[in-house]
Amino acid sequence: MSGGEAIAMATLTLRVGVVAIALAFLPALGLGLWLARREFRGKALVEAVIALPMLLPPVAVGLGLLLLFGRRGPFFPLLHALGVELPFTWWAAALAAALVGFPFLARACEQAFADVEPRFEQLARSLGYTRASTFFRVTLPLARRGVLYGTVLAFTRGLGEFGATAVVAGIQPGRTETLALGIWSRIQLGDDSGALALCAASFALALAATTLAEGWLRRAPRAGVKARS
Amino acid sequence: MQRVTKPGHTLRGLAMCLAFGICVSGGTARGADAVLDIWAAASLREPVSQLARRFETQAQGRKVNLVFGASSALARQIQAGAPADVFLSADDVTMDRLQANGFVRPETRRVFASNQLVVVAARELTVPLAVPNDLLRPEVKRIALAAPEVPVGRYARQWLTSRGLAEGVKARAVVLDDARATLASVDSGNAEAGIVYVTDARVAKTARIAFAVPDAEQPYIVYVGAVMVGGDQPELADDFLRLLVSQDGLAALHAAGFRPPPAQAASSPDAP
Repeated sequence: MSGGEAIAMATLTLRVGVVAIALAFLPALGLGLWLARREFRGKALVEAVIALPMLLPPVAVGLGLLLLFGRRGPFFPLLHALGVELPFTWWAAALAAALVGFPFLARACEQAFADVEPRFEQLARSLGYTRASTFFRVTLPLARRGVLYGTVLAFTRGLGEFGATAVVAGIQPGRTETLALGIWSRIQLGDDSGALALCAASFALALAATTLAEGWLRRAPRAGVKARS
Repeated sequence: MQRVTKPGHTLRGLAMCLAFGICVSGGTARGADAVLDIWAAASLREPVSQLARRFETQAQGRKVNLVFGASSALARQIQAGAPADVFLSADDVTMDRLQANGFVRPETRRVFASNQLVVVAARELTVPLAVPNDLLRPEVKRIALAAPEVPVGRYARQWLTSRGLAEGVKARAVVLDDARATLASVDSGNAEAGIVYVTDARVAKTARIAFAVPDAEQPYIVYVGAVMVGGDQPELADDFLRLLVSQDGLAALHAAGFRPPPAQAASSPDAP
């Protein structure tokens, strides 16, 4: 294995991880807020459904994606008409990573929003803030820590995604072979040193992501609201 | 309240992530590039990689994407919509199945090589492994076999059955995904013995050939190639298949230890 191959794999993995977060972030944020603020019958069921991609074996998630978006799947004609080819492209890898990372992100958001004191929001509203500006200027900054934590969890989970990706994107070197898939194919070939090198690259990526997030959290004050001293 | 009203960090972070995502996502979409996707049996790795490199240099801007794996697994993925232009299978059964489902351009189908089974032994194995019945020695604790739907796994089981060894071996079989993974498990010493192609044994690092399956007992092993219906480079695909059956192609296969296709290769349109 050449260094160029490893770098290409790491770049692809990073791209898959970033696009996965871009796909999952807003839905998870919205869903988290909704679940944190609303009580309704069947909420436990909704939460269970959201957790499914985390609880199911990832290969099962991959099979589900393939059945839905594959050549004979119900969504294939729609995507095809839009010119989007999903299965066995790196977009499929990104979608798989987004899906398996989603529960981590959504639950972290829910928790973070639930921890925000409604009093602050009410106060902001009473001072004339709109709903939207209350969310962006009060709720989100206060929930920032949890949201970021969930993002890092989902991102790193996406970087390491294997089962669903192998099924729905296939192991295609240079096209869909992320670091996790690359490690697997090196093992299959008996190339242990190559596999270890890719493990090291995965480790470096995950470490960089978590360090970056930690630094970010440290720069900002821990809690948005502090008593005047 | 002043500290609260700082939308900065989170939003800016999100914006940065999105911008970064858009930046890195360019470039690799499946566009109108002249990329030939060759999906080939794992055992073909060396000669097909070599021929693909040669094929790339034959014309400017040509690029070949290679995917190796068990023929059975590759065929399943092709049926699910994988973008293969050329499929090179280690048997005709798998190709037949793809063809029956309408994924193969039948007129392009060619038989291009044959192979032979050998029994390989791990370096750690101290007892001699010279005849088929030695596979049942107590020292041979694990025998690596490819899964039964994988061509080499099916060939191996055919031979074991014909020798009446199927039951005895089954109890100690370790089942792997493809020919190379089978070899790798013997190479690493995690299985004491395994059944692979002679061409795989050539690239072994530590495993050695214990004995070859006698000619008279060799299963009928053929390698079949064809252009796939779902591919977007049918002309390039056909050109590559022509290279594969040309003198150059046969020479590369021969150098890697493959045998010429058997004479009864009637499924090839160019067969004499």
